[in-house]
Amino acid sequence: MPFVELFKANIRTLLRNRQALFWSMAFPLIFVFVFGLFFGGDVQRTTLLVIDRADDPISHGLVAQLEALDSFSVETRGDEAAARQEVRDGDAGYLLIFPEGMSSIVSAGGTARPVLVYDQGNASAPIVIGAVGRMLDAINLQASGSAQLLALHAEGVQGQDLSYFDFLLPGFVSMGIMTYSIIGIASVMALYREQKVLKRLLASPLRVRHFFAAIVLAHLLLSLVQAVVIAGVGMLVFDAQVRGNVAMLFLVVLLGNTVFLSIGFIIGALSRTVQAASGLGNAVAMPMMFLSGTFFPRDTLPSVLKALVDFLPLSAMVDLLRGMALDARPLWDFPELLALLLAWAVGSALVAVRVFRFS
Amino acid sequence: MPPIISVENLVKRYSQLTAVGGVSFSVEQGEVFGILGPNGAGKTTTLECIEGLQAPTGGAITVLGMDVAADPRGVKGRIGVQLQASSYFDYLTLTEILELFGSFYPQRTQPMELLARMGLESKASARVNQLSGGQKQRFSVAATLVSDPEIVFLDEPTTGLDPQARRNLWEVVQGIHAEGRTVVLTTHYMDEAQLLCDRVAIMDQGKLIALDTPARLAETLPAPYTVRAATPTALDANALLGLEGVLDAEMSDGTLTLHSSDATRTVPALIALADGGLRELEVSLATLEDVFLAMTGHNLRD
Repeated sequence: MPFVELFKANIRTLLRNRQALFWSMAFPLIFVFVFGLFFGGDVQRTTLLVIDRADDPISHGLVAQLEALDSFSVETRGDEAAARQEVRDGDAGYLLIFPEGMSSIVSAGGTARPVLVYDQGNASAPIVIGAVGRMLDAINLQASGSAQLLALHAEGVQGQDLSYFDFLLPGFVSMGIMTYSIIGIASVMALYREQKVLKRLLASPLRVRHFFAAIVLAHLLLSLVQAVVIAGVGMLVFDAQVRGNVAMLFLVVLLGNTVFLSIGFIIGALSRTVQAASGLGNAVAMPMMFLSGTFFPRDTLPSVLKALVDFLPLSAMVDLLRGMALDARPLWDFPELLALLLAWAVGSALVAVRVFRFS
Repeated sequence: MPPIISVENLVKRYSQLTAVGGVSFSVEQGEVFGILGPNGAGKTTTLECIEGLQAPTGGAITVLGMDVAADPRGVKGRIGVQLQASSYFDYLTLTEILELFGSFYPQRTQPMELLARMGLESKASARVNQLSGGQKQRFSVAATLVSDPEIVFLDEPTTGLDPQARRNLWEVVQGIHAEGRTVVLTTHYMDEAQLLCDRVAIMDQGKLIALDTPARLAETLPAPYTVRAATPTALDANALLGLEGVLDAEMSDGTLTLHSSDATRTVPALIALADGGLRELEVSLATLEDVFLAMTGHNLRD
């Protein structure tokens, strides 16, 4: 069976090629460890200062919710200027100020505006802003002011105990798969052509589709292993939380990797030498890795750039994995992202088949 | 018996360049057929068109009774191909590569048997990049034999090898021939073509300029034989030129060199003329190098 033998040959090559192993596993794991040490685990707790001028059922409920989260140790303050200085000095991570008469504003149908003060250099700020924002959103939705509704809401946000590291981890999985698939496939294809391996295969009665099927399947399998290892290290060593359906997460990994493998084949076909392939692969993979929000939310990008960057395949993959893994939501909650990633997969595969050449 | 390979008016043009400009020949079952010529003569292109690796611009090629253009996979299944300077997978052992290539064919030979035949048993679990140049070439010949092919194509099998490794590979080729397989090889080494090939096609600038056995090709020259002898006493130059078959004569440091169109007539006449005064008489037939030079006006390795 030529396909089985080719598949075995590809798996052996992947396992024996140290450089490939580095890019596929060690490179993303370095990020997992570095960021895990900074932002992971329960050791690191951020101090959240609260000035409760409202002193009503809503503010009491929110403080109770925040205290229930492992990520924060909540401390109450009276003097706003002194508290702001604490945040500025880095002694406290955040300062949350509930305005006076919050309950009555809400019951009257108005908008109460609690203030969250944070250091702009604080990398995990977007996560905290998101978490607090979600709590408030829920209250805004059910603006009846009754204590009972608040209690109900507290259950709803129970799961939102997310660290910055939890946010990063799906990004590292996607990034690891992307860099390896693009750079790895591009350089291997250029190497096989340079060494005339492809031509030698073409001189045999092997069917071309068996050759591609074997390479693609071996790499898809490897990407699942990558995802398990990268996410696994994050979960076991740094207590990261990954929620959501594993089968659906795997499906997104395979779909994303189809795009990256196709891009790898295209670059491999366009490059004359292995060096050119690896250089071009890096030139595509590296900017995408930073722009697609692997390390920080894309919301901080200028709006024009963000609009463009949102269409990158890595953006779609990262957003899908994050949406599913952080909030335990199903794949079909994100039809636009799924459609974008599917379009990339089909489009890039068609281009790859068209431009590929053996010699 | 019809020829095992027939090439009729093969033309291969790339956008600007005509690599092969109308070449016709046929290869008989069981012979070693050489295509000789300098770099850029169109040898490799011709070979790759026959192997089904390149589509000809014009002409017809039949291999083992099959039209190559119509059924390239059918042809590929029954031939063995060694490419010029090609490599194999870097991270697989020799055995694994042979198993892999064997799986592409309906019939196959056991990897260890092939390696043993090439003297590479001890390298079975080595990788290609751990082999010497000669071992690499022998391995790539082993890989062409994995399908037990009827025709074996070798593209410049000894280029870049040291003399010992070349001789070694010649024995391998002779072994393949002895098994009854047809061998088609390209080379730019005259001695190789002369030693290995039953018939030689000489190509230059995309054209076939001669095709015959090495001996008959040499005989097409006006003076294919060189007669050398040491003569203690000088011989009369006019008498030498008057000997039957002699076209020119040269004496230097007591060594006589004659170029002759017919050595069987020249040698007895020379012996009679020298009257017992000859030492170290030697007769040699012209090389393909001389043939090439005479036909093209330039050297093979220009």
